[in-house]
Amino acid sequence: MTENQRQSPVQFSVPALDAEERDRWPVVLEYADEGEGPDLVDLSHLTRWDLQDRDLQQFRPGGVVVPERPGSCAFGNGVLVNRMNRTQASIWHLNPGEPPGPPSESALTDVTEATVFLALFGPGVFSIGEKLTALDLSRPEPKPPFLIQGPFSRVPCQIVVLERSGETDGGLLFTCSRGYAADMVDSVLSAGREFGLRPAGEKAFLRWLSSVFPETE
Amino acid sequence: MSRLEHLPTLRIDPSLTLPLHYRGKTRYGVSGDTVATALFADGVRIFGRSLKYHRPRGLYSLDGECANTTMAVDGVPNVRTETTPLVSGMRVAVQNVMGFPEFDVMGFMDRLSPFMPAGFYYRILHKPAMIWPLALKSIRKAAGLGKISPDFRTIGTFEERYLHADVCVVGGGAAGMSAALAAAESGLRVILLEARPWLGGCWDYRSGADSDALPLYERSRELAREVADEPRIRVFCRTPMIGAYNDNLVTAVQSGGEDEGFTERYIEIRAQSVVVATGCIERPLLFENNDRPGVMQVGCAHRLARTYGILPGKTAVFSVGHDMGLEAAVDLSELGVEVLCVADAREDGQHPGLVRALTERGIPLLRGWVAARAFGKRHVKKAAVTTVEGTVRREFACDLLVASAGLSPVTGPLTVAGARLAYDVHTGYFLPEALPCGVHAAGRLLGWNDPGAAEASGRLAGVRAAADCGKTVDSDAAEAALAAHPGPESGCKLVTAPVAGKKAFVCFDEDATVKNVRQAIDMGFDVPELIKRFAAVGLGPGQGGIPGHNLPLLAARYRADTAPPRPTTVRSPLVPALIAAYAGAQRDMCKRTPLHRLQERDGGVFRRTGVWKRARYFSDDTECREEILAVRNGVGMLDASTLGKFRIHGPDALNALQRVYVSDMRKVGSDRVKYSAMCNDDGCVIDDGVAVKIGENDYYFTTSTGRAGATVEWIRYHTRFDEWDFHLVNLTDALGVINLAGPDARTVLESITDADVSNEAFPFAGYRTFRVDGWIPVRAMRLGFVGELSFELHAPSSFMPALWDRVAEAGKPHGIRNFGMEAQNVLRMEKGHVILGQESEQRTNLLDLGLGFLWDRSKTDAATVGAVALEQAEDDPDRLTLVGIEMDDPDRPAKDGSVIVDDRIRGYVCTLRRSVTLNRAVGMALVEAPLSAPGTHLEIFEDDCNGQRLKAKVVPMPFYDPEGKRMKG
Repeated sequence: MTENQRQSPVQFSVPALDAEERDRWPVVLEYADEGEGPDLVDLSHLTRWDLQDRDLQQFRPGGVVVPERPGSCAFGNGVLVNRMNRTQASIWHLNPGEPPGPPSESALTDVTEATVFLALFGPGVFSIGEKLTALDLSRPEPKPPFLIQGPFSRVPCQIVVLERSGETDGGLLFTCSRGYAADMVDSVLSAGREFGLRPAGEKAFLRWLSSVFPETE
Repeated sequence: MSRLEHLPTLRIDPSLTLPLHYRGKTRYGVSGDTVATALFADGVRIFGRSLKYHRPRGLYSLDGECANTTMAVDGVPNVRTETTPLVSGMRVAVQNVMGFPEFDVMGFMDRLSPFMPAGFYYRILHKPAMIWPLALKSIRKAAGLGKISPDFRTIGTFEERYLHADVCVVGGGAAGMSAALAAAESGLRVILLEARPWLGGCWDYRSGADSDALPLYERSRELAREVADEPRIRVFCRTPMIGAYNDNLVTAVQSGGEDEGFTERYIEIRAQSVVVATGCIERPLLFENNDRPGVMQVGCAHRLARTYGILPGKTAVFSVGHDMGLEAAVDLSELGVEVLCVADAREDGQHPGLVRALTERGIPLLRGWVAARAFGKRHVKKAAVTTVEGTVRREFACDLLVASAGLSPVTGPLTVAGARLAYDVHTGYFLPEALPCGVHAAGRLLGWNDPGAAEASGRLAGVRAAADCGKTVDSDAAEAALAAHPGPESGCKLVTAPVAGKKAFVCFDEDATVKNVRQAIDMGFDVPELIKRFAAVGLGPGQGGIPGHNLPLLAARYRADTAPPRPTTVRSPLVPALIAAYAGAQRDMCKRTPLHRLQERDGGVFRRTGVWKRARYFSDDTECREEILAVRNGVGMLDASTLGKFRIHGPDALNALQRVYVSDMRKVGSDRVKYSAMCNDDGCVIDDGVAVKIGENDYYFTTSTGRAGATVEWIRYHTRFDEWDFHLVNLTDALGVINLAGPDARTVLESITDADVSNEAFPFAGYRTFRVDGWIPVRAMRLGFVGELSFELHAPSSFMPALWDRVAEAGKPHGIRNFGMEAQNVLRMEKGHVILGQESEQRTNLLDLGLGFLWDRSKTDAATVGAVALEQAEDDPDRLTLVGIEMDDPDRPAKDGSVIVDDRIRGYVCTLRRSVTLNRAVGMALVEAPLSAPGTHLEIFEDDCNGQRLKAKVVPMPFYDPEGKRMKG
């Protein structure tokens, strides 16, 4: 019998050390045996919106201006806005606090449930990425954050490179269709085994996020 | 054999011994050994027998350039033991040996060589024709090295890696490292590929000095340290390049070690510029018995000593054509090998310092001399040397004959990258005439043998590569630096010793001799490409490694060509790789619904359906009797989450729907769903589903599972010229779906929601939103796909497990059961509802399926996709028609897809099952119009009918509840 809870598409086979429930969603804050990184964190509980309109510039999701150039991203107030194409942007609410209410404008669609949302960060992350995608995640230009859309472990994904430090270190956030969650997580963990990749909880993600964007601390 | 343990060039750790098993004995190598060097150190000299003549073969190149030392290792045949690192406990076996390596029963084949001239099996074994089938059988049995079981599975971990770089440098010798450093200094990302386990190339083991009097091995280590300290350079050792493709895509295969977590790794590198600095291999010297164990190339003998600490022999004769041969003779003499003489095919041009060193050691240098023959049945016991004209001959008792005619540039990477090669008279090499855009060459490959020149040419290539990447560089300075060094040396032009060539092997792998090549030419095969195929030169596992350079030279010399020689074509893969490496990790990425785990818990048997895994059954009963009866008599629940689900919004959303759906979508309401279908331009049905209005210019619609992935693009494609303002959001994964079906469905639903779900408040085709248990948001549709009272409950995916359990709990008093895809398939078939793809194929249009009632012909504001074709097909009498059929024998349903025949094929069965509900075998079929009348008798052929056609007749549909009272009640 399932508890009266919502369920993430990601179930790591590691016991949780610390967890809390938000909006009936059990969120793992810390897993047992988290290493020194790299880390893989399930962020599927964080709200994501899809924004589509002919004039995206008129919108200020979370007070953030939608970037003009496809592939570019803007971050502010805990909201990451990723320009996908001429008429579309994705909006990821990275603050773990109270989730924003349902979108008030018809151009917005809540797609939190449509995708699995993962963070992959730490040493050797881009080497892990090289095992999973032919996309050039570690390219020197543009400066992070930037958005790449394409196959990751053969599955269409939105990938935002949030940080790059050195040739292979840094971090990225990515989403793909929720149904692929189990295989995607398994694939990423397998690829990352040689680099010491382990599941980590939301606390690890927030530590990393605040190191990338000190204003979020 | 004791090792030379204190050489600074060693790449082994003599203190760490590793066992391996060979011929029933445990032998020992040391850490750093290859399988071949470990066996050689243990006294093994014959590593296998040759393909055709079963001649003994031994170490030759130490780079796996031929099949001499391919062996079965841990059950894997044809492993190149010269380059395979020794792993503790390996089990090694010889190949192509009947008996023992020293005494092979098939060794007599060597004496039959006069009866096996070039192409003998093409010419001789057809006369008389009746012997060919027998000969073919024998040849096929004899062909190939190694044995493999048809069900052999490669063991190991295989994966792929996709790398990006500004500059990719192929070859980690001095030139390659210099190129990488020069490019990295410009701030570029560089990838450096090296086939051997370490950087250094031919400098790694050589004690000769560079211009600063620094031993070459020390200089190479110095460069390697600089490379390691440069963070922009990523080094991949044990990673030979295997191919090159458009836009500088370089492919390679990396071999893993015991601790690296992979066996082989396929690598693709996308680079802006490529530098090839692969150096040279040695061009084999052609003389009688040049394949005898104990004959080896200069680099092989030298590296055995310097890299692995193994003396290649006690008493040696050298027959060489380049200064590296003289250098090796001096060095090996220093290390304890008795060098009886050095025959140098060149009359002059030797480095004075090396000549002096030979003289100081009392080693005679015979200028203009060459090895003519190796003696010894199983191993070299004596060598004969002669003047290149063959006028004078001397013999030396020895156990080692170090032989090499000259150097041969490793141009394969350039060739596969698109470079055309031409013969260079000065060096005697085949060199690129012009390089493709963004490709550069450097180092000994171009004849820059002087140490300073090799480095300078590498730096120049690196600078030019940086320029390709848009960097401002000073290439003039790099060119001037190179010009300050001696230019490429003149190469040795000797092709073959003055011998008949009966057992002078051009190609070791295929036992092809100089004589065979001459025979092929005599028979009219006048170009190397033809000779190669007819005489089987370079067609074995080593490909062109051994014969690639010699064959065109030999052919040109024998034909007395005035035109320059032309090389044969080199193709990918440049070195062999396991098929498993190309296959990579091969993860089967599939989707699972939010209810997957719960259905697993309930005993679901899953099958792949497109990108999804879906529960097909919930028991061993593939007829699904209990599942079907639960739905017909009580209540059942199905996971229908794979349905495509979309939001379309914007001012022109309705126009877009009008365009792709055949119905008038203006009639879509907010409290009722509308069922409709999409056709392609041919009027053929591609999708069906329901739509509902959820707001102003805002609709929610569903598609079939199979079409979900293509729907957005489909709608965008068919509205691409209209500049309509609408937007699509794919919610397929965002919402799960439970189909709650059966006469008790309403009772179950009533118990978990406060909403009024009575027939009056929530009629058939109705759409409502409410909450289950006060917290689970649900979009509910009254549908009847399985022919019963049904509620489709759409809920956000994270809520689905809770909803599923809640419905199951509420249904328990009513005997609720899960039902899977097969039960649904039968239930809907009984009701006469179609599944696209099951009751249709590419040619089936809307009218064929009896769905013409969906088509609204009055739409004018947005032309419907497929409408024109439907109009044309409307009066076509030759189309297939979907009909209900019933088998004469209720216990013998025909298979789906079986054909309906008389004297020709007249249709086919779409779905047919023994109906548990009706106790009849019924189904649907597409038949030609004349056969569609009820009562028409049909004959069905299927592959298991043993010639006895099955009998059926056309019957009215639907089979179950034709008035729809149960569905709408």
